Amino acid sequence: VTAVELAQRESVHSLYIDHHGWLYAWLRRRLGCPDTAADLAHDTFLRLIASRDALLGLREPRAYLTTTAKRLLVDRARRARIEQAYLAGLVVAAEEGGGHPPPERVLAALEALEQIAEALEGVSSKARNAFLAHYLEGESHAEVAARLGVSTRMVRKYLVQVLVHCGRRISGAVA
Amino acid sequence: MGRARNGDEVSEQAAEWIVRLDADDPAEREAARQGFAAWKARDPRHAEAAEAMEALLARVRDLRDATPSGHRPARAALDSARRTRRWPRRAGPLLGLALALVLPLWLSLQSWAPSWPIADLQTARGEWDQRVLSDGSRLALGSATAANLDLDGSPRLVEVIAGEILVDVAADPTRPFEVRTRHGRVRALGTRFLVRAQREWTEVVMFESRVRVAGPAGDGEEAGGDAFALVDLDAGERLRLTDAGPGPVEPVDAAALEQAWSGRRLVVSDRPLSDVLDQLARYRPGWTRYDAAAVAGLRVTAVLPLDDPDRAMRLIAASFPGLRVRTLTPYLVLVGR
Repeated sequence: VTAVELAQRESVHSLYIDHHGWLYAWLRRRLGCPDTAADLAHDTFLRLIASRDALLGLREPRAYLTTTAKRLLVDRARRARIEQAYLAGLVVAAEEGGGHPPPERVLAALEALEQIAEALEGVSSKARNAFLAHYLEGESHAEVAARLGVSTRMVRKYLVQVLVHCGRRISGAVA
Repeated sequence: MGRARNGDEVSEQAAEWIVRLDADDPAEREAARQGFAAWKARDPRHAEAAEAMEALLARVRDLRDATPSGHRPARAALDSARRTRRWPRRAGPLLGLALALVLPLWLSLQSWAPSWPIADLQTARGEWDQRVLSDGSRLALGSATAANLDLDGSPRLVEVIAGEILVDVAADPTRPFEVRTRHGRVRALGTRFLVRAQREWTEVVMFESRVRVAGPAGDGEEAGGDAFALVDLDAGERLRLTDAGPGPVEPVDAAALEQAWSGRRLVVSDRPLSDVLDQLARYRPGWTRYDAAAVAGLRVTAVLPLDDPDRAMRLIAASFPGLRVRTLTPYLVLVGR
């Protein structure tokens, strides 16, 4: 155990002692559900531990913690929306006789959807449409162009734009 | 700064190659395949820049192949992920509320109403009902049950479209009482019995007296179109009818079963788990999905609370430690290993 790690452990510990109480109370007020609030408070500290450099020079712990917690809240809401829409879509597909994928596939798909939604955050809506029409729905460049009422050259531009954006977001998330 | 610019340029090049890879023109695709490989080989940073994008695209394609119905559910999900965020602040909660109200309703319509919108009697999931019919017979309806009545003629008729009914027939020697399901008929003079109609089979359990059960003639029987295999069922016996004809008559503890039924308990003794899950599913709103391979070969002996199907699920989960029961939403429960 290095001295740096020890210092980090120490600071997480004192941060937790100093801040867990109000963070939990704050989340509870916002959410109205003690269990979810406890989960989220816990996740917030996990996030904090995962981002090491934030730990060492944390000037405004409260601001940092609330920002992180808010982001987690947004993620959670988005996850719930994705899940609902996807499952509802599967119900319709099953009703139409498409059958239903096995549970483990549903879970994998939900995970993928979340990641893709996250990567696509911030992309313009036309570019996003082009991207999903081509890669998810399997339309050719010409078909996408016709659907969006633009030239194929423009479609390619959109695709490049989205790929660059996603690449940046993904490698940013990893680093 | 210079480096970042450089990095942007590299990722732009990577993206351009990737887009060319599935251009509409096959010759261009082929050229791009070779060019892309050479470009990646030229500098490790090139390959690195392409990697994240390719990984993402692989996920998108997997997603397309993941559902038999293709991309539509996935597209709907991705659109929903974005939509609310773009609306003005106020609309968010309102929309959420509307969705919260509409979605359950819509799901329950999807799973329930369209098949028999105009049945004479029906119960929703998790709902029980009791009726005294015009001829004095008593009918108890289980959860998610639909039935039609025609009591004026002879025989007196109850058609069970889905679900289960417990019949207490008022004796009328001139007019027999008949229950029909898609799998066959049960005819009685005065008696007490349970009819449970599922998609694949109909089960008849006798509590009192005797009925005559008519199902489609099995394969071996010499038969015209209307031929029925007839089986007499006595108190304490049970029988399953399928499209292939009546199954064997099995003894049951009728008193315990009847008590369980009126106490809203499901009593199962050494039944396949898939059977039990099917039955429980009828008492839960929404969807219970199980992985057929994972539950194959598992058998259950249990008394399960039907008026609390979620607890019943937990009881099952507890007795099969290898099994995972996940509640994805209150409307979807997955059972697998």
